[in-house]
Amino acid sequence: MRPNNPVPSRRTFLTAALQGAGLLLLSGCEGLFDRLHQNKKVLSLLESAEAANRFLLRLVSRRGKLAQEFSEADISRYFKANGNPPPLNMDYILNTMMGWPTWRLEVAGLVEQPMQFSLAELQALPARTQITRHDCVEGWSAIAKWKGVPLVEIMKRVQPKPEAKFVVFYCMDTDQDGNYYYESVDLYDAAHPQTILAYEMNGEPVPVDHGAPLRLRVETQLGYKMAKYIHRVDFVASHKEIGQGRGGYWEDRGYEWYAGI
Amino acid sequence: MLNYRHNRITRLAHWTNALALLILFMSGLQIFNAFPNLHWGSKTEPDEAFFSIYAANEDGEVRGYTRLYGWQFETTGVLGIQNTDMGPFPRAFPSWLTIPGFFWLAGGRRWHFFFAWIFVLNGLLYFAYNLANGHVRKFLLRPKDLAKLLPMLLYYLRLRCVSPQEGEYNPMQKMAYTGVFFLLTPLIILSGLAMSPQLDATFNWLPAIFGGRQSARSFHFILTFLFTFFTFGHIFMVATTGVVNNMRSMVTGWYTDQSVAEPPSSDQEATLEAGGEPAPALAELAGEPPEPEAKKEEHKNETE
Repeated sequence: MRPNNPVPSRRTFLTAALQGAGLLLLSGCEGLFDRLHQNKKVLSLLESAEAANRFLLRLVSRRGKLAQEFSEADISRYFKANGNPPPLNMDYILNTMMGWPTWRLEVAGLVEQPMQFSLAELQALPARTQITRHDCVEGWSAIAKWKGVPLVEIMKRVQPKPEAKFVVFYCMDTDQDGNYYYESVDLYDAAHPQTILAYEMNGEPVPVDHGAPLRLRVETQLGYKMAKYIHRVDFVASHKEIGQGRGGYWEDRGYEWYAGI
Repeated sequence: MLNYRHNRITRLAHWTNALALLILFMSGLQIFNAFPNLHWGSKTEPDEAFFSIYAANEDGEVRGYTRLYGWQFETTGVLGIQNTDMGPFPRAFPSWLTIPGFFWLAGGRRWHFFFAWIFVLNGLLYFAYNLANGHVRKFLLRPKDLAKLLPMLLYYLRLRCVSPQEGEYNPMQKMAYTGVFFLLTPLIILSGLAMSPQLDATFNWLPAIFGGRQSARSFHFILTFLFTFFTFGHIFMVATTGVVNNMRSMVTGWYTDQSVAEPPSSDQEATLEAGGEPAPALAELAGEPPEPEAKKEEHKNETE
């Protein structure tokens, strides 16, 4: 080592530089982070955490382990109905009033046997009832009792082809600009025993505000994955061609496709 | 030569950690703003929040309020209502405390998760390094240190002339570092993970150890402010002891003609000390064996 090693000088320099950077950061935080956030490269770097989250959480999770199920006494008095207002078209309104006579669930895409189900036909399939906690991405949680058809029961009947990787849920509700809500999950979550197409909430038909006549429950993910007002389920190899290509309404607007955290 | 490389890693880990904590804090407040209420248990009945930040319209005037159980404070301008160029704007935490500054939950989550990974990986790097070189042992609080906590406090308060310190860290430093490393850090990570529906499904006990997912969220928030408290304490120590010490250490490092072995080793100690937190100043305060003179000088400064 050289006698006049420049370590201390570098130390001085580094410390001063870092302290300066820290001060700059603190004073200009707001603008700085906002500008960084609007930079495509920075944003895609930040978004890389999503893949890491999904990898790690699925790595440590055991497939098919059930989310906690609660007792009747735990059911929330208040369950916020988030998202779009209910569909506002004559067809939907007439169906709500008349017991869904013309509503059908269409199941298609990469399946051996495309099928249609009326509400009565869905109700005749094997059902699962669960009292589970709904976790909204906003931070709140609400507990309700859900009854519906496990998605695996549908899969048994339509038989997805081997190339099917995702299940896409098409909804009847739109935002103010007329964009339809949609969502997708992969087969890992589709096959979870608590993943159900629910037609009952707290012992009653799913109320209009909560997605009548049929909404998705995926107890391993956040609330925005649980599409309401479903009318069509597609099995697809990729969701790149759907909507803006990110796998869901909120995903197209910056939220994670993987909402397991 | 090896020493030199090591202190680089530690210093890098320290500043990375500082940046990660700052971003985690600010993006966390952005996330909190999406639902500015805290609850105990598993669910969020609106009338059962124990802590809320909100805006209320009173006689045509909007005011910001912060409520903790039965205590309510008007916090217009800071919490609940932010005064902007375009008039009062309802927001729990103001834009200058959140990342992004604008109200955007998805953006806050992106920053939070990315820097959560940085925080954890960086912490593991620091920890692996300092466990391997035996440094962690030096700041671990042991039962025999407990009796010295009060004397140390008295010494800090200038009510006692002699420091009860033995070794590189004084008992209060040991308590702070041990608490942050082995209590705050694991708890804040666990309470964060306990909010994951995927992990909750696999490990039903995870939210349960906090008393439910919403309790975990509340703990995560409270622990955040314990971290903030520690950070301010840390910066206070750096500022009050550091101005002189920091300068002196920098100056001695720069000017003093020391033996070849000494600068890197003292440098290493200093940065190791700084490891979890900024500034070599604290290290100097702790007083290092290789620098008896510095120590003496240090204590002189303290008592003056």
